[in-house]
Formats: sequence, C-alpha cells, structure tokens
Amino acid sequence: MGMARDLSFLLPEMTLGITAFIMLVAEMLRRPRLALLIGLAGLALATALTFPVLNAGTTVFGGTYRIDMLSGWAKLILLPGTALALLLARAEIAGRDREGSVYALIALVTLGALMLSGSGDVMLMVLGVVLTGLGSFALVAWPRDDAATEAAMKYLVFGSVTGAVMIYGLSFWYGGTGSTLYSALSGIGDQPLIAMAGLIAVIVGLGYKAALFPFHFWAPDAYEGAPVSIAAYLSVITKLAALFAFAQAFRDLPTSTGWPLVIALIAAATMSYGYLAALVQTRMVRLIAYSSIAQSGYFLLGLLAIGGGTLALPSLIVFGAAYVAMNLGAFAVIMVAGRELEDFRGFGRAAPITGVAMVIFLLSLTGIPPLFGFVGKVYLFGAAISAGYLWLAIIAILNSVLALAVYLRIIVAMYQPRPDAAAAPGQAGPLIAAVLGITVLITLVMGLFAGLLPG
Amino acid sequence: MFPLLTLATFLPLVGAASVMGLAGRGGSRAHGISIATTGLVFLVTLAIWARGTAPGGFSQIEEITWIPSIGAAYRLGVDGLSLPLILLTSLLFFLSAIYSARVDDRPATYVVLMLMLETASLGTFAALDALLFYVFFEVSLVSMYFMIAGWGHEDRQRAALMFFLYTLLGSLPLLLAILGLFLGSGTFDMRVWVDAPQLSGLAAMLALIAMLFTFAVKIPSFPVHTWLPAAHVQAPTVGSVILAGVMLKFGTYGLIRFAFQMTPAAFSQAALVILVFGVFSALYGAFAALAQSDLKKMVAYTSVNHMGYVVMGVAVAGLTVDPQLRAVALDGATLQMISHGLVTGALFFLVGMLQDRAHTRAMDDFGGLLGRVPWLGWAFILSAFASLGLPGLAHFPAEFQVFLATLNIQPWAVLAVLAIVITAGLYLRAIAAVFLGAPNDKWAAMPDLDRRELWVILPLLALIVAVGVAPGMLLGMIHATMAAL
Repeated sequence: MGMARDLSFLLPEMTLGITAFIMLVAEMLRRPRLALLIGLAGLALATALTFPVLNAGTTVFGGTYRIDMLSGWAKLILLPGTALALLLARAEIAGRDREGSVYALIALVTLGALMLSGSGDVMLMVLGVVLTGLGSFALVAWPRDDAATEAAMKYLVFGSVTGAVMIYGLSFWYGGTGSTLYSALSGIGDQPLIAMAGLIAVIVGLGYKAALFPFHFWAPDAYEGAPVSIAAYLSVITKLAALFAFAQAFRDLPTSTGWPLVIALIAAATMSYGYLAALVQTRMVRLIAYSSIAQSGYFLLGLLAIGGGTLALPSLIVFGAAYVAMNLGAFAVIMVAGRELEDFRGFGRAAPITGVAMVIFLLSLTGIPPLFGFVGKVYLFGAAISAGYLWLAIIAILNSVLALAVYLRIIVAMYQPRPDAAAAPGQAGPLIAAVLGITVLITLVMGLFAGLLPG
Repeated sequence: MFPLLTLATFLPLVGAASVMGLAGRGGSRAHGISIATTGLVFLVTLAIWARGTAPGGFSQIEEITWIPSIGAAYRLGVDGLSLPLILLTSLLFFLSAIYSARVDDRPATYVVLMLMLETASLGTFAALDALLFYVFFEVSLVSMYFMIAGWGHEDRQRAALMFFLYTLLGSLPLLLAILGLFLGSGTFDMRVWVDAPQLSGLAAMLALIAMLFTFAVKIPSFPVHTWLPAAHVQAPTVGSVILAGVMLKFGTYGLIRFAFQMTPAAFSQAALVILVFGVFSALYGAFAALAQSDLKKMVAYTSVNHMGYVVMGVAVAGLTVDPQLRAVALDGATLQMISHGLVTGALFFLVGMLQDRAHTRAMDDFGGLLGRVPWLGWAFILSAFASLGLPGLAHFPAEFQVFLATLNIQPWAVLAVLAIVITAGLYLRAIAAVFLGAPNDKWAAMPDLDRRELWVILPLLALIVAVGVAPGMLLGMIHATMAAL
C-alpha cells in the first residue's frame, strides 16, 4: 500500500526512466530517429504526469524524496527544456555515428537532474550527482576528437575530485545527526564545525555542477569541446538541477550556521568573475559559457533567501524557467551563426529574424524589461533584499551593467557591415527554427504572463 | 469607460506591427503609417485631456491583474502632473514622425523603433504600477540605443554604447528602491505608495538616494550629466528631440512622483542638498553651453540648465511647509517641463534642419543666413528667445514661478538667475554668428523651410507663444493636482 502510494507520486520519473531504457533499445537497433521520437513522447508524457502531483506537497520513501512545489516546477522546466535540447541535438548530429546514444544519454542525465531537484536525503543527492555526471562526461566526449576528449577528461577529473570531497564532507553531517535525511539537519546548529564541514562538501559538489566560482574551470572547456547542442543542454539542465538541489539541502539547514553569508560571497564572486571573463572572450561558446557562470551567481540571490522570505522559491523557479528559454535560444543562434564572435559580424543584417531573436535573448539575459529574464531578476533581487542582503543586490545590479557591456559586444557586431569575405550565414533548419520560435515566444511573452508562475 | 489611456499607449505598437507586416513595401508606406498612427495617438490624448483630471488624485484608472502574487498589476491613470507630459509626448512624436518622412535608410526599422519608443514614453507617464513604470522606463532605453546606434552621426556606436550603459547603471538603483517600497507595502500600486509613506527612517533615506541617483542621471543633473552631450550630438535629429523633449522628463517626473511623493520626509531632509545640485546644474549647464561652438551641443547643454530649474522648484517645494508656496514651486517646475519640451524640441528640429542643409553644425561656418532662409532664421530666433526666458514665451511663466518660490524659501538660491543672463548671452552670440553678419557665399543656394518642415515647426512655435501668453490652459490642471500634494 505504502509502496504503491509512493510510486504513484513518481510517475514522471518512472516514465522518464523507462523512456531512456527504450531509447537505448532503439539505438541498439540502429534507429536513432525512433529513439528521438520516443524521447520526445516520453518527455511529453512525463510533463503531463507532473501536473497531478504539482501541488502535492509531500514526501515519498520515508522522506528521502520530495514531491513539493520546487520539484514539481523543476519537472515542468527541465522536461520541456530537455525536449528542446533533443531537437537542437538532432539538428546538429543527425546522421552521424552513434547518434541515438546521445538522445538516450540526455534522457538519463535529465532523470538524474530530476532526482537532484527532488532530493530530501544526502544519499539521493549523491546519486543524482553521479548519474548526471557520468552521463555528462559521455556526452561531452561523444564527438571522439581531441578537443572533446580533452574537455571530457577535464570534466571527469574535476567531477571525480569534487565528488570525492563532497561524499567525504557529507559523512560529517551523517555523523552529526545520525541520519542522511536533510530534515534531520534542523538540529545541527549547535555543532558548528560539523555543519560547516557538510556545508563545504555540498558547496564543492553541487557548486561544481552549477559552475559556481571557484569550481567553474571545467565549464568553458567542456562547453567548447562538446557539440554546441550538448553545451546548451549542460548549461541549462544540469546547472538548474544542481541549484534546485542546493535549495532542497539548504531549506533545512539552520541559517545560524552562517551558510547564507557564504553563498552571498560566492554569488558576488561568481557574477563578477563570470562577466569580467566573458568581456574578453572572442569565441562565442566560451563567451556564453562565462555568461552562464555569471547567471549562476544570480540564482544564488534567490538561494540565500531560502532561510527567510517568501520570494526565494518562486525566484528560483521563475528565473530558472526564463534562463532555460533564453540560454537555449542563444545557443541555438550560435548553431546557426557560428562559434566565433567574428561569425556574428553583420549577422543581424544577413539574417534579420534570427538576429532579432538573438537580441531578445541577450537583452533578456541582461535583465531588460519586459522580457522574462527581467521578471526573474525582479524576484531574485526582491528575495535578496528581503533576506537582508541589500549589498549583494547592489553588486548584482552593478554586474547587470557589466552584463550589458558583454552582450552589447555581440549586438554591436551583429549590426556592423558584414565582412566581404564572409560566407552567407547558414539558414536555421526547421528544428532550430522551431526551438528559436518557442524560446523567443517564452522569453517575450512569459514576462507578461508571469502571474501563471508560482509566487 | 473606454480605456483611452491603454489605446493611446499601445496604438503605436499596433502601428509598428503593421509596418513590420508590410516590410519591404518601401519607405513611404512605413512613414505614412507612422504619421497616421502618431497623429491618431495625439487625437486620443486630446480626448483624454477633454475627459479631465480629478483634483487631489488619479483619474481615468485602467486596471488588469498581472502578477497577483506580488501585487503587480497593469495600472494606468493620469493626474495634473502626468497628463501635460502625455500631451507633450504625443505631440512631439507626431511632429517627429512628420519630420522623419525623409529618412530613407532602413525606414521600416526606424519607424518601428520610434513607435516602440512612443509606447514606452506614454507608458512611463501613465503607469500607476511601479513595476510597469520600470518596464516602460527601460524599454525606452533599448529603442533609443538602437536609434542612436543605427541612424546617428559619425561616432554613433560609441555614443550609443555609452548612453545605454550609463543610463542602465542609472536606472537600476530605482529598481532597488521600488523593491524596497514593495517589501514595505506588499504591492507595486503607486497610488498606495503616494497616499501614505511606506518606508521611514533609514530605509526611506536609502530608497530616496537610489531614486535620486536614477533620476539625476536621467534629468541629467550635474555631475552625472556627462552622457548627454555625447548622446545628443551623435543622435539623429528625431532622437535628440525625443531625448530632450520627452525622455529627460522621465527624470523630473520621477523626481516628483517617486522621490517627492513616496518618501516625503526623507525628501525634505535631503531637499537642501538637492537644491544645491539644482542650482549648480543650472549654472553649470549655462556656462558649459557658452563654451560650445557646435550648435547642437550648445542646445544640449542648455537642457542641463533648464532642467536644473525644475530640480530647484521641486527641491524648494520640499523645503517649505507653506502649502501655497509649495504649489507655486511645483506648478513652476511642472510647467517648466512642458516649456522645455516645446522649446528644446523646436531648437533641435531647427538645428537638424540646418544640418540637413549644410552638413555642419559649427556656428562659425555660417553667417548672415537670415536673409537666405528667413523662415528658419526667425523660427530659430523666436525659439532662442523663448529658451532664454523672454516674457510672453513659454519658459517665462514657469521660471518665474520657480524663482518666486525660491526667493521666498531659500533666497540665496536665486543666484541661479545668473544663468539666465548667460543663456541670453550665448543665444544672442549664436544668433549673431549664424543668422546675422556678413553672408557666407557658401550657403547662397540654401533653400528655406519646405512645407513638411513648416508643418513640424509652426505648431511648436504657436504653442511656445500660447503657453507664454496663456499658461492658464495648462496651469489650471497642474495646479489642481499640485495644490493637493
């Protein structure tokens, strides 16, 4: 009875797991297109199955897995986001060897991402980190050329080390509370050293996954070595999952352990470092990689308010949804225009519609109203101020100006005359056009319909 | 009641959409739609004027829920402060659309940006929800950035970049202040914030400082005015007209609506400092304008001077407890915004027309033009006289009230009157250099204003005289609101 009840709340996850398995079978049969279609259907079904449990507000398996607002909205964001990433991947690697394994791996990594965003227990969190990690290494290494292999090796080594540190540190929490459940952490305030050891562990392990400063080094290399669509996927899905896992862990951690201040300092460093580094990049994938690092810093404004204030969870969800749309969209434009900043010179004149789409994504990433990214940032700033971190909100605002400088470098280049030697830019194929259409629509319109989102 | 405010605000977007739909059909179609749309918007704003405002509050409220969980909604409304500015905005955009009809470089995109800018500008003045206000406030930056970057003069990329970065840095503190007021009240409804102060003590002072920073950049007030000359000189003529005539008013409008009305106690405490900045801006703008040889830059700096008087008026209103004096100061400040929009709009149009003909703006390149182009010359002379505050023209009743209140409240600040003398000197010098003296043979073939240009300039000149002679047509509405603040 109890088992059946628990499983009934896990229908989306189970659907995705079974889908990934069938996709592997399809790949074994050398039917990549079938694998893709199964994947899309499975994601759609899992999304639909999320709605009945969206407001369940319960836990399953003895509190280890949370079916709450955060994990529910995480599914509504991550599952459709994964579907968009699948379309981008198809546009990039159609017809190439082992194509279907990419789709199956993406589905598996997203399963890990769902586990992360619902984890109520350190063991489940570790499991999520491992599952997303293993799949991601394989995805980055997929092209099997030198750049990809090097990128995957860096990613793997970095992931292994941070993972080991994380597991070691988490053992302190278990030792201190006698339980692996997050909910047992509420009493850890009187053991500051133990609390701090576990806190550092979580920050190292999940901070690596979310590409927070100073655990971000792998990100630009991995994104650049991987296919652009895989970089797009990793930059949104695994990052969001890690940030949601942070939120689940910190909900029960007493603020007296001082974690909000630690997160605030990391947020300030991540935002500033990300944009300063992005300012000097000349390769688009690296530029957007550093910009994604900076965006992680903005998420932390909402995260640190989890200890107090009602805006914290809505801010993570709203900005998360916005971030998925605008970052996937920006990567989709890179797939059309090219991987170098130089490829964007005159692109806005040569391809006006895709150019306007890119302008919309970049302005939304900056936080210009009325775009979706702006609404997300309003929530984030509000959360930080209500938690008493006005100074961090001011740093975030100064970084928004830096952000504009970063993104205007692209916009300015896009409307300069196109070099005579440059070939005409590629056309967006139907798949990329579909992804662009959906992401532009979300970025443009969801700011006006933000009332539909939780708050 | 039919939602005229929403109609006026979003009609330009409808026009922009139809221009995009007809893209590639040539420039005259785009300009035709633009003139028709902005003309229609102007008529709608006249109808809003005819409906009138209610003393001591907002009227013609239009409200739809937007993000109910955080108390943000689509709320529009007008009072005696915003309605005159809305009228000014729709008029200047209409005239700009007529003036722009000769733009043949990517006309469709140009028109779309201009119409987007009109929606943003009208929305900024009409919004009664702080989040909505901020949305419109920022959208205007984006349109103006692309306008300067795409259609500006020689050094436009740099100027546009500086404009966007500078003013974004300027406007973000306002977002913090808005969030602070939201956290203090649980809503973004500006009416609630205006009715009763939501913050007190240090929080109110911090919010005020953030707002002052934002609006000082926008106004622009010394020492954060440095973006203005670069942006103006590089902007296309219409960009300058809108920038000076409409967008600078966002700053002074915000100064009254947000700083003065929403954090009144903190504003009173800080008013003396604000007054000092206002006086200094007025003097600095005049002296800086005196030093220019580029006509457009000169007019740009006189904006710093004129907006300094607005700041003075609002500041002295915060320093007095006498309701009558306070109303005089605020009446003068508000009327000054309108006068400045009309006069500076006319001056930028005229400098633009001169530049279209001569492809230079340097005063010394001209001479004796009055004989060649009498319409242009006399229009410039009339506008210049208005700008230097001649009685009977638009600036006089506004500046008179500001100085009257200042003299009663902080007599030392009347020092700023010196700026009027300097302004008189610099305009007379400009008129002498450009229109009087020995004719320069280089311009022997310069044509006078054509019909399109007369359509642009004559309504402005008529209004400059009308506001100067009969300011009561606006002051009645303004005073009814200001007396209740």
